[in-house]
Amino acid sequence: MTSIRLDHLTKKFGSFAALKTMDMEIRDGEFMALLGPSGCGKSTTMNIIAGMEGPSTGRVLFGDRDMSGVPMPKRGVGFVFQNYAIFTHMNVRQNLAYGLKVRGTPQPEINRRVTTIAEFLQLTQFLDQPSAKLSVNILQRLAIGRSAIVEPAIFLLDEPLSNVDAAFRAVMRTELKHLQRQFKQTMVYVTHDQLEAMTMADRIAVMDHGVLQQVGTPLEVYNNPANVFVARFIGSPGMNLVPATLVERDGQLRADLGAAGISAPLAPELAAAARTAGAGEVWYGFRPEELSVASGDAGLAAGVTFVERIGSRTVVHFDIAGEPAKGVFENDVALQEGSAARLAPGPDAVRLFDRQSGNAIGGSTHGLH
Amino acid sequence: MASIEFRSVTKRFGDTLAVDDMSFRIEDGEFFCFFGPPLAGKSTILRMILGLERPDSGEILFDGRPVTEVGPAARNVAMVFQNLALFPHLSAEGNIRFPLLERKVEAGSIARRVAEVAEKLHIGHILHKLPAHLSGGERQRVAIARALVRDPVAYLMDDPISALDARLREEMRVELKRIQSELGRTLVYVTHDQEEAMSIADRMAILEAGAIRQIGSPTDAYDRPASDYVARLLGAPPMNLLQGSAVDGEFRLADGAIALPLSGVPEGTVTVGIRPENLSLAPPASGAGATVFEVEPLGGFTVVTLSAGEDRVRALLRGQPKVETDSRVALAVNPAAVHFFAADGRALSAASV
Repeated sequence: MTSIRLDHLTKKFGSFAALKTMDMEIRDGEFMALLGPSGCGKSTTMNIIAGMEGPSTGRVLFGDRDMSGVPMPKRGVGFVFQNYAIFTHMNVRQNLAYGLKVRGTPQPEINRRVTTIAEFLQLTQFLDQPSAKLSVNILQRLAIGRSAIVEPAIFLLDEPLSNVDAAFRAVMRTELKHLQRQFKQTMVYVTHDQLEAMTMADRIAVMDHGVLQQVGTPLEVYNNPANVFVARFIGSPGMNLVPATLVERDGQLRADLGAAGISAPLAPELAAAARTAGAGEVWYGFRPEELSVASGDAGLAAGVTFVERIGSRTVVHFDIAGEPAKGVFENDVALQEGSAARLAPGPDAVRLFDRQSGNAIGGSTHGLH
Repeated sequence: MASIEFRSVTKRFGDTLAVDDMSFRIEDGEFFCFFGPPLAGKSTILRMILGLERPDSGEILFDGRPVTEVGPAARNVAMVFQNLALFPHLSAEGNIRFPLLERKVEAGSIARRVAEVAEKLHIGHILHKLPAHLSGGERQRVAIARALVRDPVAYLMDDPISALDARLREEMRVELKRIQSELGRTLVYVTHDQEEAMSIADRMAILEAGAIRQIGSPTDAYDRPASDYVARLLGAPPMNLLQGSAVDGEFRLADGAIALPLSGVPEGTVTVGIRPENLSLAPPASGAGATVFEVEPLGGFTVVTLSAGEDRVRALLRGQPKVETDSRVALAVNPAAVHFFAADGRALSAASV
């Protein structure tokens, strides 16, 4: 059991700053996802935690212990890469047992743990098969099993599900999360896939361009993104952001979206925060799932540009005063491509961001739904 | 432009049956997807349409005319290579012009064709730019323009956007669909991503081991899967498939762990298929119910995985409901949205649904 403290970490490669001052605490037993697009610094952060790379400045602490200068094999971390290294000349059982063998674990204990982990990852039927012939899905489970079996205090996973098919990925997400909840390891999980981060992590660290943007629970970053980057990156599709000007009408603060019209009054808390901040030019944000179709002259004017039914839901693409936006609806939604629509974001669903800084205005206390 | 038809086409590589007695017809102007797992035969089909592979038996027809013996160049089908395949040292215009130079088309006609194609794809203003200075969508349009300039009878794309990250893929597929519908040309598209196939295809063929398991609109395949195989491949999270039988007007799982109030369950042991979005949770009645295994928030939706005996059952709920792991819940099913499958996987019509 170990917490991880990242203390003023920076990393430069030549003149390129891969990581600009990273400060974060990963709690003991926590499942932390490092999430961001490629080049955001998430893998660099993980490599520094693992000891594969040293930071340019700053320290990594496991508990109270400064890990500077401690080589990777001595850090007691389990590491699963996206290109899983499996010994192809060994069968599944031998691969699973390998890490325990080199540590000199007694054979009965090895057998017990192999049986347990194989059952957990549904590998039992493959135990005596040569690993060279296994499918990618099974290899991936084996790679996870091989790291998990030594029960490391810290478990690092770098995009472990990126090479497997979608249905299996959905199953593995659930199983990995369950595994972590059972074994209570401190888990750091690198991914560019917001869905993986949302579904598995206790908390998510969203990164962009070497800068930590926000740390929070999945629903915190979804409901109250700290800035426009997080707002767009989290969610599928991401949050809609339309440029607007805040105006007072009938004593209430509203957003003027130009050709699309003027919004319903902002929720009192948000209006108060916007007034306090003296906000004028903003991004008017709302989630695609928090949008309903209004009747008559209510709501905002939009054009329907594309209708995408994806199985259980229908994603409708809109043009709102020249800006693209999306809505997620039930499949019986009556919107046709090329038609006009009036849209009403749920009253508690609206978020505002300063147009200059991109930072959220207020919004730390209210949640959706 | 052309329709593309396979009649009883078979292709073997050594002992491997890559395409097994396959017949289909892609209509002129259609956006048609081949979808399936690796080795299902998708790429072999594309290569046979292109004329790069010859079928062992059967016939291939374009617009009703046999082309089985026609070589790749004379078939005039364009494979669209994606943004990564643009020449980085050539401008957009240089890239588009390239196939014509290669074919020794005379200069005046090259300029005219490039201008026409650029207008069609709305890229006249970026022709001077290098690929590195174009957005993902612009690069895609340039790649398509490069194929279009040859005026092919159909376009083929082999998993073209799979290398991009999720957010960009969402944008690109819509862009592709828009371009295709503007152009009105036949587009044959291969993907292993069910969401992509469902989003963009007019019709799709779901493949397994060199055979078509179902062909139809994405909506049709999703709402009325012909087999448990198709049911499992489409949808995320995937359809719940549970074995059991009807007992006293209820559907009981094989190990008795949960009972669902379903009418019209066919006789004997069947597999019941329920999409996660058609399940909801209710407070448990005495004794009955399942245990919450994991709760996965998606933001706008929540996936709740239940453990019921050996089975895992997933429910996709709207919003952010409070559900505790390890708590007990009962399941409610939308009875109009239940599928039944026989032991061999074939879809059964419910007796009285």
